[in-house]
Amino acid sequence: MSATGPRLSFVGGTLLLEGFSGRGRPVLGGAAEWIWDDRVHGWRCDALAYPALRTDPLFTAAHVTDAVPAWQRVTWPKPLLRKLRPDQRQAAARWNQTGRGCLVMPTGTGKTEVALNLIAGAAVSTLVVAPVRDLMYQWHRRIAEGLGYDAGIIGDHLFRLSPLSVTTYDSACIHMERLGNRFGMIVFDECHHLPGRVRADAARMCAAPLRLGLTATPERSDGRDIELANLIGPTVYEMAIAEARGSTLADYEVVRIPVHLSNDEQRRYERLSRELRTFIHERRTADPGFDWEKLCAESARSPESRRILKAFYAKQAIEDRAEEKLRVIEDLFRLHAGEPCLIFAGSNAMARDVSLRFLIPCLLSHCGKKERLDVLQGLEARVYPALVANQVLDEGVDMPDVKIAIVIGGKASTRQAKQRLGRVLRKSGNARATLYEIVCVDTNEVERSRTRRASDAYDKVRHRRERPKS
Amino acid sequence: MLTREQALAEFDFARSAVLPDRLTTAAHGRYLGYAERMLALYRQGAGRTRRDLHRAVNDVFVDEPDCPQRRIDAFCKLLDDASLYERDRRGQAAKLRREVFRLAAPRHPLVHSADRLFENGEARVKLEIAEKLGRPWPDVEAGLFADIIEFHRLERFADFADGRALLSRYNVAQIQAALFDAQVMSVWAAEDFKTILRYAKLARLMHTILRLESGEYLFRFDGAVSAVRETRRYGAALARFLPALIACRGWRMHAVIESRHTGWKLSLDLAATDGLTSHLPPPDEFDSQVEEDFATKWGTEPRDGWTLIREGEILHQGQKVFVPDFVFRHDDGRTVLLEIIGFWTPEYLDAKLATLRTFGARPILLAVAEPIRRGLPAVSNDVLPYKSTLKVKDVLEYLSRSGFPA
Repeated sequence: MSATGPRLSFVGGTLLLEGFSGRGRPVLGGAAEWIWDDRVHGWRCDALAYPALRTDPLFTAAHVTDAVPAWQRVTWPKPLLRKLRPDQRQAAARWNQTGRGCLVMPTGTGKTEVALNLIAGAAVSTLVVAPVRDLMYQWHRRIAEGLGYDAGIIGDHLFRLSPLSVTTYDSACIHMERLGNRFGMIVFDECHHLPGRVRADAARMCAAPLRLGLTATPERSDGRDIELANLIGPTVYEMAIAEARGSTLADYEVVRIPVHLSNDEQRRYERLSRELRTFIHERRTADPGFDWEKLCAESARSPESRRILKAFYAKQAIEDRAEEKLRVIEDLFRLHAGEPCLIFAGSNAMARDVSLRFLIPCLLSHCGKKERLDVLQGLEARVYPALVANQVLDEGVDMPDVKIAIVIGGKASTRQAKQRLGRVLRKSGNARATLYEIVCVDTNEVERSRTRRASDAYDKVRHRRERPKS
Repeated sequence: MLTREQALAEFDFARSAVLPDRLTTAAHGRYLGYAERMLALYRQGAGRTRRDLHRAVNDVFVDEPDCPQRRIDAFCKLLDDASLYERDRRGQAAKLRREVFRLAAPRHPLVHSADRLFENGEARVKLEIAEKLGRPWPDVEAGLFADIIEFHRLERFADFADGRALLSRYNVAQIQAALFDAQVMSVWAAEDFKTILRYAKLARLMHTILRLESGEYLFRFDGAVSAVRETRRYGAALARFLPALIACRGWRMHAVIESRHTGWKLSLDLAATDGLTSHLPPPDEFDSQVEEDFATKWGTEPRDGWTLIREGEILHQGQKVFVPDFVFRHDDGRTVLLEIIGFWTPEYLDAKLATLRTFGARPILLAVAEPIRRGLPAVSNDVLPYKSTLKVKDVLEYLSRSGFPA
């Protein structure tokens, strides 16, 4: 390498071009936005521009020394991949045409299988980015099963770098300034998480020429999904959820079960409600514009407002942890005895309540990797009859063979509902899947349940009539 | 450090300024008492759970009219940061859970009252499991989730010197939290350059250095990506750097904060005169006794027209910097840089020589202790050997010979 010739390197998540004069902006790399950095006397641009740069004939013509790639060819010990279905093969073929882009496939249609095949085919150092710790470990397991490889882990207080590594969006974002040139391929699982002021750094600071995005729900409520095309690549394959239902996925229905508060709970609930109403009525009389935000702001200056806020949260907790919910869960356990069952709680406290009442495992964020694995595999192997979780299972975690899901409380977000549904939609035989939703009547939870069902995942779903209440 | 969840600041939109929460004796006199009470809680808190301690801290403020929840949460975080909690290292709780859930699995579902179809009553199964494990059920239940962070028990508290120290830490911590959203920080400094630049480097920040006409230096701290776009990603590094800056003398600071909600640019301004106290000690004025003795002997008055200035000039090239120990400035404008090499390890010497080569364009006088001089490879610098102390006379003699142009 000539010491004086132009040189391109990866520095702190950017590409640094040295040996060009600072006077005229280099015309290399088409859309690459070069910016002169006087601190290091070189031109910089996002690492994302690397593939465009390399394919620019001017780059070769300018005799630039390319010191960017620190990735390597990889040969997999023994791929044990399942044969792809025709629709999966089509998805893989579309992506292979350009080596960059997003695959949109509903939960349960085998996105991971497709991705593993593409990773095996690329035979280059690869980084898989997953939204949460659980999914990161799940990828680790799937890679071990499919490619016979013990992948590196970056995240969850670990930093074990291997030519094939798994990480989370948060860790990728933090570490990409050191990792961005170590991988020739990057896979973004549930890639609708990527766009965002800060998180997009996970893609912008990465030089990998091969880029794959996987998602069931590309649309975001803030409309930032358009950025995916720039950060990963265009959508190259899309399978609609309606197509998937019935053919690949089990049919499913949603059953809503209303519960009432116990007398004691009702009394406490009403007392708290009265307290809140009186307070808010008094305040509104004095100030018609008094609202939640003002209450929060005021709580900094008034012990009274702090007490009212506490009352509000106490009221929510009564809804969340209503005793009747535990009784309904018992009824459902009786009804579906012998069938594995998945329960989603609205809070950690409720998840622990359920776990303690029925002595079934609960999966919370504090559970270690080993315990998670034991619980998830235990459910699959029918060692455990059921499991209760909070949001850690909200997205993408494989839950084979579960046909019964129970939602007790939770937020109204559309995506969450879709993802939760996806969990019970796994393909296995012809058994119908059922999603039970337990909500307190005469409380705000009913409202949240209505919002939840407005999402298109619930379209054309048969709703059983509410259970008559004595 | 705090997290965003405990950050508390006011926004002055008229001046587009961020004002991190600050407790002062004038406005928050009562807080000194609260701080002492919180410290007492933690000092006597060994064995109590985190949740319990946090509730007790909340109770300290129950009648205080001026106290946002975040302020309380921030105190809990700072106290926890100084605490060692008993952690379930061997995974006993997880082991117990596995055992209990596996014992219960064949009995699923545990029903409220047993009947002919479902014969496993909750109470009876729990009793049987407790018997099998050889401990009473309430004991089993208490152990099942002992590894959850809220249920960790306090083992040791490293403590603060007093309530005032806790309040000082709080004030600095809230500024740090505001810096999480900073894009860039400018620092004007008249001294302690070495410390400022060293800590900025430790925090992995990049610098831009500018000498102002006043003789002051202006530093700009941010990171690699900052060249490409405005980014908050170096905010945490800037926050880490702050306590070191606060420990220094004669500086002021301006940071550009990007509001997370509105995207607006706000400014955060601070100066050494603001009366903040860092938990870090002020930087040593001199790196070694030799330096200190020499400076003391030289005094503050010019000798033969030469004035001695400690860390008077920063040499920098790209991201490499070098602050020679002393600068001699003559009334006629000539300057001579002096670096004292009195201590050495092979690594230290190698690094020093590499630095000297990088900045070879500027003549730097090396004062080298005799034992090192013998092992010193050839350098292009002028070398002034000394025995145990560097003599003013020797240096003056060298300066009188030196014909460095202005």
